[in-house]
Amino acid sequence: MVKIKKRKLGEAQIPTSSMADIAFLLLLFFLVSTNIDVDTGIGLVLPEFVPPEEQEFVPLSKDRMAALLINENGDVLLDGNIIAIPQIKDNLKVRITEKIDLPSNRKLVVSVKTDRRTVYNLYLQSLDQVKGAYFEVWEEYAGAKYGKSVRDLTPEELEDVRAKIPIIISIAEPEKV
Amino acid sequence: MKFKKKRAAVKQDIPTASLPDIVFMLLLFFMVATQLREVDVLVQFSLPEAEFIEKIENKRLVSYVWVGRDERIQINDSIVRQEDIRDIMYRKRVELPNVIVSFRVDKNANMGVVTDIQQELRKADARRINYSSLLKR
Repeated sequence: MVKIKKRKLGEAQIPTSSMADIAFLLLLFFLVSTNIDVDTGIGLVLPEFVPPEEQEFVPLSKDRMAALLINENGDVLLDGNIIAIPQIKDNLKVRITEKIDLPSNRKLVVSVKTDRRTVYNLYLQSLDQVKGAYFEVWEEYAGAKYGKSVRDLTPEELEDVRAKIPIIISIAEPEKV
Repeated sequence: MKFKKKRAAVKQDIPTASLPDIVFMLLLFFMVATQLREVDVLVQFSLPEAEFIEKIENKRLVSYVWVGRDERIQINDSIVRQEDIRDIMYRKRVELPNVIVSFRVDKNANMGVVTDIQQELRKADARRINYSSLLKR
């Protein structure tokens, strides 16, 4: 018999060349399916709950209050006058700015009232305008007094800005249905 | 003479020993950057857009309330009724005193539902809220 030389077998290797493909497929899958979540929005602090019996109506002079009403037809009224949503911001900025140097119990209160059938988007756009007015007044004040943007203020300076221009947004008590 | 085609004894392979490392790096990146706890959102909604939005710095404090176009309310994984909201929110407040409730409301929903939810939140004393919206470009 011919001598059969036993060839030394190389170690069995699982072909790993396709691991790169798998890695890229997984990457693509995650890129497409998950989203680095959009956690942005308009922040607000709701007023404390007061049961209807205990509710007191604090009368505010017309000068101190900016009453924003959005009814079910989509009309937006600021202090009884119809206004277009993009104009709310400029209108409020003037009113906020003129009260900067007043004592804290005479600052502007913005009251936002909606009807049950008002479209949510309109409410949000109006709230956006109100917040925008406050933020822009903050920027202007910070720029004028400290020469910096609101983001770059120290905590004490920020407190001063907040004290001079407090964001007081009052969500009206809902009407009984 | 007969020439036998000389073949290498071992197959030439690109060294792929580092691929598992790459895969684990990517996995770690996605674990950190994205939120893997995805709640199945049962309600249909499309968020509104706004300009003056703020980013919620502390993501751990956020709790979501979804309100879809059909005015169904979802918290966590299930559709809830309005009566249940107060207890659920009160329990969340007990767990996380600084909880921020994020409203993911469809832009065409009616304010009646939102107002009712806000009333329930006020009763449960979960008053920090955020109306989720996309940045208007």
